[in-house]
Amino acid sequence: MKGYATKLIEVTEKHADRIASQWLGDVRVNPKTPSYHTFSDEKALSHAVAFYRNFRSLFITDKPFDAAQKFFTKYADERYSEGIPLHEAVYALILMRRHIWLFAEFQTLFVSTVEHQQAAESLTRTLLLFDYATYVIAERYEALMKRETEERFRRDGKPGPSRQTVAAGGHGKQVR
Amino acid sequence: MQAVATKLIDVTETNAEKIARQWFADVRKNPKTPSYHTLAEDRAIPQAVDFYTKFRAVFAAKSPFEEARRVYAKYADESYRIGIPLHEAIYALTLMRRHIWLYAEFQALFISAVEQQQAVESLNRTILLFDYATYVISDRYQELMKGEVDKQLMALRALGMEESFTGSKVGIMTCLLVACGFLTYYYHAVMASGVIFTHLFYIPIVLAGIWWKKKGIYISVLLGVILIVSHLLFMKGVPLTDDLIRAIMFVVVSSVVALLAEGFSKIEVLYRASPQAGSPVET
Repeated sequence: MKGYATKLIEVTEKHADRIASQWLGDVRVNPKTPSYHTFSDEKALSHAVAFYRNFRSLFITDKPFDAAQKFFTKYADERYSEGIPLHEAVYALILMRRHIWLFAEFQTLFVSTVEHQQAAESLTRTLLLFDYATYVIAERYEALMKRETEERFRRDGKPGPSRQTVAAGGHGKQVR
Repeated sequence: MQAVATKLIDVTETNAEKIARQWFADVRKNPKTPSYHTLAEDRAIPQAVDFYTKFRAVFAAKSPFEEARRVYAKYADESYRIGIPLHEAIYALTLMRRHIWLYAEFQALFISAVEQQQAVESLNRTILLFDYATYVISDRYQELMKGEVDKQLMALRALGMEESFTGSKVGIMTCLLVACGFLTYYYHAVMASGVIFTHLFYIPIVLAGIWWKKKGIYISVLLGVILIVSHLLFMKGVPLTDDLIRAIMFVVVSSVVALLAEGFSKIEVLYRASPQAGSPVET
């Protein structure tokens, strides 16, 4: 796993800021991510850079689901507290993945036949990671929405805790 | 695109039923899809077969997002209808995609260097479709959740006549109160009897509680007063106890209905303000 993936991971880590900027340029104009059109550059970039910097640990781990759960639960909490709708949070993440590959292709990382084989394997691994990410984020959003509604009911309709508080209340924990 | 993908599409279409069965065996025991563990085979497999047989249309579409929206919104509708949570519906779809590739690998579809290149291209296209699918399904689920709440609240709102003018509520209540007054007079003054006619009083009492909540209790007090005054005027020889108990019961029932109606109103407000994933953050 580590062997064939090194090239992709190294390029992603080394150019995290650049890939993140390209991603930002995309979500800023993409019609499927309207919430990001008015989002602060600094905040949005920090999402992407954090992801690209953690890419190695997520990619190489022996327990990819556990690593994904830890990382993407936090991602979901943050996006939820920022008011990003679920489908946009997921799509922004999909675009992060695409930008890794766009950058890799632009850098012509995979040219020879052996490299093509490596590309297919890296792609499969990346995909697995994102499958877990989507699952974790969707589940976490559902749990956060449920928790926020319950909090409101508990407070009898009076102004309840902010989304930041609701999300912060369960960092890394299973709500259900 | 169509050229390189033909092999994958052909295999998927030809073996749709077989791949669907392999997928079903997977979701049946996968810990991430517990809702499928008890789902009947004849409900789950046709969904997967339908997906695999439509794979060509989505894969080869000139506007893949539009086609994906059409196909996967339907998938979301069906999954939602049978009670599958969003994250499981997405994961089940992910497993459908994996089973296409597991089957293709098992059939050794992509062996040579050229075929490997084709595999990467087919994989890229498949990923694109599933990216759209994830987007469409999560968006659609949010719409469906909101729609379901709206539908459930509609019945309550209809009873509460919240869309109607206040004037029509007052008009209906006035007619009912006049009818109650007439009934009281007729039974007490003409029939000299206190038989069960007061049961009809609960119609304006309940409606007043639903419409005006705690303020509706005044209607029950008014009806109680009408009953007692009428009794004192027309049924002097008969003990007041029964009508007194009835009048108290009017107020008790009215209070209970008012409390329930207030509770329902709060629930509606909370649902309206509840966090839909697509809603903006509170400020």
